Amino acid sequence: MKLIRNTIKGLTFKQILLFSITIISFLASILFVYHNDSFYDRTIAKVVDTQLKEKIEVVDSQNNKDQLFTQSIIAEIKNGELKGERIYLMNEYSASGAFDQDYEVGNEVFISIDKDRKESYLTGTIYDLKRDKYIVWMTWIFIFILVVVGKMQGVFSIVSLAVNAVLLSYALDVYLHTSTISLLLSCGIAAVLFTVISLLLVNGVNEKTYAAIIATLLGTFISFLITSLVMWITKEEGLHYEEMQFLTRPPQMVFMAGMLVGSLGAVMDVAITMSSSIFTLYEQNPQISMKALKTSAMDIGRDIMGTMTNILFFAYVSGSIPMLILYMKNGNLMGYTLSMNLSLELARAFAGGIGIVLAIPFGLYTSILFINRKRAKQ
Amino acid sequence: MNTLVCLGGILFLLMVLVGGKKGARSFIAIFLNFCVILFTIFMMTDPLANPVILALIACTVISCITLFYINEVNRKTVTAFLSTMITFTILILFIVVITDQAKIQGFGEEETEELTAFSLYLGVDFVKIAAAMMIMSTIGAITDVAISISSPMQEMKNHNPTINRKELFTFGLSIGRDILGTNTNTLFFAFFGGYLAMLIWFKDLSYSLGTIVNSKVFSGEMINILCAGIGVALIIPITSWITAFFLDKEKKKK
Repeated sequence: MKLIRNTIKGLTFKQILLFSITIISFLASILFVYHNDSFYDRTIAKVVDTQLKEKIEVVDSQNNKDQLFTQSIIAEIKNGELKGERIYLMNEYSASGAFDQDYEVGNEVFISIDKDRKESYLTGTIYDLKRDKYIVWMTWIFIFILVVVGKMQGVFSIVSLAVNAVLLSYALDVYLHTSTISLLLSCGIAAVLFTVISLLLVNGVNEKTYAAIIATLLGTFISFLITSLVMWITKEEGLHYEEMQFLTRPPQMVFMAGMLVGSLGAVMDVAITMSSSIFTLYEQNPQISMKALKTSAMDIGRDIMGTMTNILFFAYVSGSIPMLILYMKNGNLMGYTLSMNLSLELARAFAGGIGIVLAIPFGLYTSILFINRKRAKQ
Repeated sequence: MNTLVCLGGILFLLMVLVGGKKGARSFIAIFLNFCVILFTIFMMTDPLANPVILALIACTVISCITLFYINEVNRKTVTAFLSTMITFTILILFIVVITDQAKIQGFGEEETEELTAFSLYLGVDFVKIAAAMMIMSTIGAITDVAISISSPMQEMKNHNPTINRKELFTFGLSIGRDILGTNTNTLFFAFFGGYLAMLIWFKDLSYSLGTIVNSKVFSGEMINILCAGIGVALIIPITSWITAFFLDKEKKKK
């Protein structure tokens, strides 16, 4: 108790205010997401009882054994005119659950109600699970962990992430609503803004940040140029756009824009690591020779190069795991499976890697440029 | 010539030019990691195998390659490795619960329209595969943070041998905080870039906010991003504590 009282006493008014606002918005959003049924146009029902009706074993042409289940569900309607009434639903699902799922008591589901009422009770079909509360819970867990671990820096990273998300969404809107501007251009402009905003927010207004911004932009755009050039010279041989999903626009454009945005974060990370360590070295010893500065900075660059490329590599390649398994289990050959599903991911990872490696010398030389200017002034 | 081979070649060349021997090793490590992932996926197609366990084993091997092969086996990398393993274990428990609850496994309805030629009853557990996918997408970031914290802590200890455990721990935390922002940024942009097509799709077909948030594909990606962020934050205190513990223990021995 004493500890808690002392901790509270040690807080400033601003901190208490920030803390209270966070707690209040946390409670309000949780309360909202559990009682927002009336805001949805689609009918929502809460499962109150489930019963397993049937279980069949199935074997497909590739000799994959699976089980199919049929469950009958009684649910209570949560919104609309029929609110409070009970409805009888059927759900079929498989043990593997590649595109279906079982429902348990307490789950909320989106449903449609059958119009012609043949029986004395309501019947309908289930569309999907209502997942909004999981997103809200996860977001809060993420925010709390980031703030507890990172304190003020945690708050800044959350703010910069939120700003970037809004900016990206806005850039896409601009692209979709104006026919003249291309996706690449709108993402390119967005990339410049992302870099400036994120680096200023995370690192403050100083020369370190300016050097990092220049290095990031150089690294990203030059690696983008190299990749485009290679794609042009090789006529994109080996790149398979056929399996790209969610396509409403030309796939090549979407892929290139995704590549530009995707490598940006990693290049920024490398650029800021380079510039802040070079500036720290300089501040600790202003008389340090250029040669010593370069050697130490290159050492640091070498240290981060491998792990940084790994980050992108895993973030990209892991996303294809379910699709790869689907292909392989359907009797496709390994080579075909990989080239169909991984070619774009690997190209993206390589392009990002090129950006990361380029950012090391760029970060080094822009920082040295700024340091030389500083020295000349003194 | 094949675009991928060409891009890979350029990356290798640049890595060697900038990084010398270590650059070459970094490139080979990526290649080895790719082999480990492929082998793991291959194992996951066996219905009797548990994808979560397989992912944990793969993560162990991959962290060994990333930490011990690119760098060497020394106190820094050993403590980084230990902290990575602890973080994975905590994170995977959390991920298994959330994938099971939110039912985000497999493919969304938008995707299955294109998959009509495939049999989808495959006998493998897609819930566990989704969990495995999430943990493996964060492994690069987690090992990166671990080594970025344990390595300067070791330097600090070398410069000030009298430093005590608590001061070391605080030093580790402060380094972690500095890299937290840029690391979450790296992951977010990587994911954003990958999901660009999906975002354009939602906007083009004017999905309502309610539909987007509740759809399997979007909530799956969101949960993946947030889990990655949580992993990157969690590793910071864990690495700081473990490294401080080992460095301090060593001092007492002397």
